Amino acid sequence: MDKTIFEKSQEGQHAFSLPKNSGAFGNFFPPSYLLRQTALNLPEISEIDLTRHYSQLAQINRGIDTNFYPLGSCTMKLNPRINEYCAQFPAFTRIHPLAPDETIQGNLQIIHELIDMLCQVSGMADGTLLPNAGAQGEFIGLQMIGAYHRSQGDYERSEMLIPDNAHGTNPASAAMAGFKCISIRTNAEGDLDIDHLRSLVSSRTAGLMLTNPNTLGLFSSVIQEIAQIIHEQGGFLYYDGANLNSILNIVKPGKMGFDVMHINLHKTFSTPHGGGGPGSGPVLCNECLKFFLPIPKVVKNSTSYTVQWQDKKSIGQIATFHGNFSVYLRAFLYMKLHGHYGLRKIAEVAVLNANYLKHHLAKLFKVPYPQLCMHEFVVQADKYLQQGVRALDIAKRLLDYGVYAPTIYFPLIIKECMLFEPTESESKATLDEFIQIMTKIVNEIELNPELVKSAPHNQVVKRLDEVKAAKFPILKH
Amino acid sequence: MDFISNQTVQIKAMLAELGLQSVNDLFKQIPDNLKIAYPDTDDGLSEYEGLCLMEKLAAKNTFSHFENYMGAGAYEHHVPALVGAICSKSEFLTSYTPYQAEASQGMLQAIFEFQSMICALTGMDVANASVYDGASACAEAILMCLRLHKDKKKVLIAETLNPRYHAVIEQYLNAHEIEIILIPVNSVGKLEKAKFLSLMNDQVAAVLIQSPNYWGVMEECKEIFELAKEKQILSILCANPLAYGLFQSAAEQMADIAVGDCQPLGIALQFGGPYAGYIACKQDYVRQLPGRIVGETSDSEGKRGFILTLQAREQHIRREKATSNICTNQALSALASLVGTLWYGKNGIKALALTNFQRAAYLKNQLSDLDNVQVITTDTCFNEFVVQFKQPLEKVLNHFHHLAIQPGVILEKDYSSLKNCLLVAVTETKSQDQLDRYIQAVRTIG
Repeated sequence: MDKTIFEKSQEGQHAFSLPKNSGAFGNFFPPSYLLRQTALNLPEISEIDLTRHYSQLAQINRGIDTNFYPLGSCTMKLNPRINEYCAQFPAFTRIHPLAPDETIQGNLQIIHELIDMLCQVSGMADGTLLPNAGAQGEFIGLQMIGAYHRSQGDYERSEMLIPDNAHGTNPASAAMAGFKCISIRTNAEGDLDIDHLRSLVSSRTAGLMLTNPNTLGLFSSVIQEIAQIIHEQGGFLYYDGANLNSILNIVKPGKMGFDVMHINLHKTFSTPHGGGGPGSGPVLCNECLKFFLPIPKVVKNSTSYTVQWQDKKSIGQIATFHGNFSVYLRAFLYMKLHGHYGLRKIAEVAVLNANYLKHHLAKLFKVPYPQLCMHEFVVQADKYLQQGVRALDIAKRLLDYGVYAPTIYFPLIIKECMLFEPTESESKATLDEFIQIMTKIVNEIELNPELVKSAPHNQVVKRLDEVKAAKFPILKH
Repeated sequence: MDFISNQTVQIKAMLAELGLQSVNDLFKQIPDNLKIAYPDTDDGLSEYEGLCLMEKLAAKNTFSHFENYMGAGAYEHHVPALVGAICSKSEFLTSYTPYQAEASQGMLQAIFEFQSMICALTGMDVANASVYDGASACAEAILMCLRLHKDKKKVLIAETLNPRYHAVIEQYLNAHEIEIILIPVNSVGKLEKAKFLSLMNDQVAAVLIQSPNYWGVMEECKEIFELAKEKQILSILCANPLAYGLFQSAAEQMADIAVGDCQPLGIALQFGGPYAGYIACKQDYVRQLPGRIVGETSDSEGKRGFILTLQAREQHIRREKATSNICTNQALSALASLVGTLWYGKNGIKALALTNFQRAAYLKNQLSDLDNVQVITTDTCFNEFVVQFKQPLEKVLNHFHHLAIQPGVILEKDYSSLKNCLLVAVTETKSQDQLDRYIQAVRTIG
């Protein structure tokens, strides 16, 4: 859009109304030395202009509701409207986070039952809904691992092993939790290099962070061996739940040998991504680690639920209150609607859709790992470099065809990488149409590479200058 | 039920193209001993059954039957109807982090405007696209300071900081060998300034003060922050952003970093989340900011546009060397606070802040005349204050609950000196009639 809301300000206009001030209130003013002296540079704008501004901004933004969004690792599935509807009940939205337990029994029941359901699908013993996002969940899971080792008088475990294809948050969270990150190689088949792992694991190993299926969309068939290697050395196996969608009620992380994990409710359990948040990243763990879970905890008594703010062994707090309640409330309903039966179907069709898409895209691109994939897969677009076309250019050209782009340049170990995740939501017809679009773009690369290199052409803006934005930052009005 | 498009016909056709017999063949690579049995019955619910379940659970919450005076970091404000209308637009609601800028201009521009709004309120030069909540904003700000002063290992934190924020800071600093020194609060709920000044030395990386503080009191930060500057200590001010409509901005108080929670600006209470933390700072520190930042740029034809920028700070590029592990911001909650703030606008935010102050001052003033209660926070407060009851708190609470009033937040758990004390919050949602009913309730405690 041409103007920001700040540039649309019109003197004296406003949208607000306030309850009338009673005369008795007017006697009170703060001392002048505390008052704001500088102008408050907020716009003055009427409700119609405000409404129109943000309605127009919505029109130049794409969501799953408007477009196919095969963004790998992000699980862009349908966000059912029934979840949105129920989350807006005043009996949920008007509740103060420190309200007395007897007035919030519905909320506490939801928390308790959701932890229970998540334990069932993960094969874990207990959990917490407090982390506000997946990355915060990782941090908490790692803090629990650290706390366990210290509780055993073991202060030497300073290293966290992380595969070279891991999500960027893994090493970043490990660093925040005070661990030294040790990178483990991926082998030619796309699985963790077990020999490399063996050579690096030691009495300094606090744990290994793993995604399974990994970020290449591949399930590690040697997962039990990996678990054994880590456990024998006294380390813990951390499960990054970003890819949980593909194994729902097929296999459980707990059974694979994982000790602690987080789940991204905004991925697997369909809470809206909201343009980059709010998310919710519950942490689940086994019997051995559960004493260290953060507070507050919700405890079930014979007839009621209570909130426990004190717990000696707990690692303490992570969120101001109870985490993103209104987000995990949606996940609760989503799980109830599906039941275990429906959750299994999600995994089956998500994996089927991904393999179907991979099978067809393999005719156009190099597929570094030809075996069956799980819910997502990578292709390598480097053969078009000779025409000067990069993965980025293909991504931008897809926008012209009304499709959001896949994840590009991740995992970092694949050249000109494109990571596709169609999810179970999409129909065969949508996938077929997408395959046709990709075929068309590949034809364009061969016939008219400039067209692709200068894409997008029909968006509200043409290709944006990333370098300029970083070199000469303009970060506010 | 489920939300899956492909049914038997399509599934069969797709399997055939893949040369597979059944969906089970898709999971061949998973060792058989790990696989779990197929659920035998459909144990899901229909949409209608799900709705009934949620209605039943909602009905077990009785909190909204009470008049609510609880604050302590989460405040009951009117949320303008426009906020819900904008935030439920599916192009915002169902979009992801705006990696593909050209197809995400709406959210990018909205975040740019959010950053501008935070800068306007705080007086700071730059703000990020939001963090999880007020607590994580405080923790991230301290980590920023520790990166800027790598050789310093102490931070000073006012005891009047929200104790839950303090707890989260401890969690974030747990792995770093940092000493947190608490500056004690005095008997009227203000920090001991002399003590603060005496502890500032060259070992200290940062000072963090909340104002209005947890007790509701406006702290006088400027003198402390000025001295901090002389000693090369970074100053962090944590504040309810609504207070900036009336009181000095963070910049006017000489803060280097401003943090807090956007909840009062248009985000429903919703049991504590999602909210959105804000973090803003002076230009010099921009490269230490955590999380997403949106910047203005232009396209290949010179047209203005917006894009995620300064990403070399972030985890997807820098991995273990990133400024933070944060990946998402709280975009939709940040959008709610932006629309809420703009609905009030330049003059409305001032008027809203003033009426919050005045209503709270009215109740505080009336209560100070009563015999069975004592106002502890006698200095200037914003929209909440501390009162001590002469009777045991259990009896007080029962009495209020009987009158369908939630009279405030219990403080004894957080401050052992505050026996029988409540933290009472008053916003624009309380009329004079309601406030007089509160006063009458205090009078009639048996």
